[in-house]
Amino acid sequence: MSDQSPPSLLDELPGDLMIWVLIISELLVFGAGLAAFLSVRLTDPAGFAEAQSHLHRTGAALNTIVLITSGYLAALALRFRMSGRRIAPRLSLFGAAALGAVFLVIKGIEYADKAAQGINFETHPFFMFYYLLTGFHVAHVIAGIVVLLLVAWRNSVDNIEMGAAFWHMVDLIWVLLFPIIYLLA
Amino acid sequence: MSMMQPDPLTRAWLALIALSGLSALAAAAIGRGFDARIAGGIVLLLALIKARIVLSRYLGLADAPSWRRGFNAVLALFMLVALGLYLAPAL
Repeated sequence: MSDQSPPSLLDELPGDLMIWVLIISELLVFGAGLAAFLSVRLTDPAGFAEAQSHLHRTGAALNTIVLITSGYLAALALRFRMSGRRIAPRLSLFGAAALGAVFLVIKGIEYADKAAQGINFETHPFFMFYYLLTGFHVAHVIAGIVVLLLVAWRNSVDNIEMGAAFWHMVDLIWVLLFPIIYLLA
Repeated sequence: MSMMQPDPLTRAWLALIALSGLSALAAAAIGRGFDARIAGGIVLLLALIKARIVLSRYLGLADAPSWRRGFNAVLALFMLVALGLYLAPAL
């Protein structure tokens, strides 16, 4: 007779439990922010639409492709490392981090364009949410790049799995944030 | 002899690229006079599908079906709330 208990639901989760606690927390924070954005929009839908027309959708759409591809490279890095390779995961992680930097450059151009138009936090409630939500996301991208470079250096399977999961979280948040802020007219 | 198929991870990446293109098309359709309510619904549906792919293939929840169901349910609920808030001014 075996005294082994069946695996718990937590054992089913891939990777470390703490990264999932972080992912769920971040999704809740951004979800609440996006819900607040859409709620405030109810008070001035025409003003929100006009403000949104100042955003550069093409640049943001390009950034979506950049992050999705970066996430793919991070996921490949984990797969390469699990198969025992050492150089390929590092190259994939450097590629993922480089695309993260590309995201930041495109975002920087977008912010500079807004500044040139005289648009700031106080221009309209739309822009207050725009800067808060995209700015908070940018902070995560910066942190994610640092994490990717760290796990490229200390490239154990566990480290890469944790770093890649953080990066996928950044990707996931953008997948939700981009359509609501940039596309819903 | 069968043609070589891309692996699930590569398929997920390609699907995400394709879905992003469809989202851009749906958003562009609004500017060309297409019903913004329908296009908005399509944009949110595509975002939901993309989020599910990221969770399943990038984050590995494809191997954790209970968690995947939970995440999918919460995300679907969030998108329904977002759609309701988006459509409310037009009602």
